[in-house]
Amino acid sequence: MVGLNFVGISAALATFFSVWMGHALVRKIERETADLRIPVGIFIALGLSFAALSLLTPNLILSAASGILALTLVWDAHEFIRQQKRVQRGRAPANPNNPRHAKILAEHPEATTFDWLDRDPRGSQYSADELAAMKGSAK
Amino acid sequence: MNWFGLTLGFATLFMIGLGFVWVIRGERYFGRLWWVYVMAAGIAIIAATLFISNNWLSALLGGFGASLVWGSTELNTQAVRGELGWYPFREKKILPPFADVIQKWKAPSL
Repeated sequence: MVGLNFVGISAALATFFSVWMGHALVRKIERETADLRIPVGIFIALGLSFAALSLLTPNLILSAASGILALTLVWDAHEFIRQQKRVQRGRAPANPNNPRHAKILAEHPEATTFDWLDRDPRGSQYSADELAAMKGSAK
Repeated sequence: MNWFGLTLGFATLFMIGLGFVWVIRGERYFGRLWWVYVMAAGIAIIAATLFISNNWLSALLGGFGASLVWGSTELNTQAVRGELGWYPFREKKILPPFADVIQKWKAPSL
């Protein structure tokens, strides 16, 4: 009986959970943090730590998971900046209680506290009038 | 120095990037209801990696299968983005088998 190979499972779990967590955490932290340099620095430091662990361990299961985490964490650091741009364009909702977002709301006409994506698909495209009404009703 | 994990990390990042492309294109032409099949394929690939003795192949397929599972949960939100006009929209979709059944299920959105 040949043993099972857990390297693939390790890579799969690291990939799925780092993408999921990255997706949720970047949005949440970008929304709450006034100074983005802090989370960007922390995520880069964490990414580099996992990179070091991945390089130094002889264990392939650990190396696989930490190597994937290293790259996704560094990517997440970059995503904080991209998320801020989404807020500026109004594609992600701004948090008026965050001073950085309050400034974005004042300076970018497209920025809004309205969450466009908080709805189920309906199967047809929205007209310009419908979009204006949706945004208007949410003020 | 063991470069296995970091090389795999770069390859996985690339596969996640491909995910953005196929989620956008796939939703446009085939529609969100395919999520069941995409998720099932991802889980099947991940399960299969247990029986692959080659570490590189097992790891790469593990990352690929996970990116399929993740992408399957993004199809629903992508459908909304299309309807909002953020991406080119096609009302006519190439529907999956049993689309009428899948329609009644709550699509995962993480």
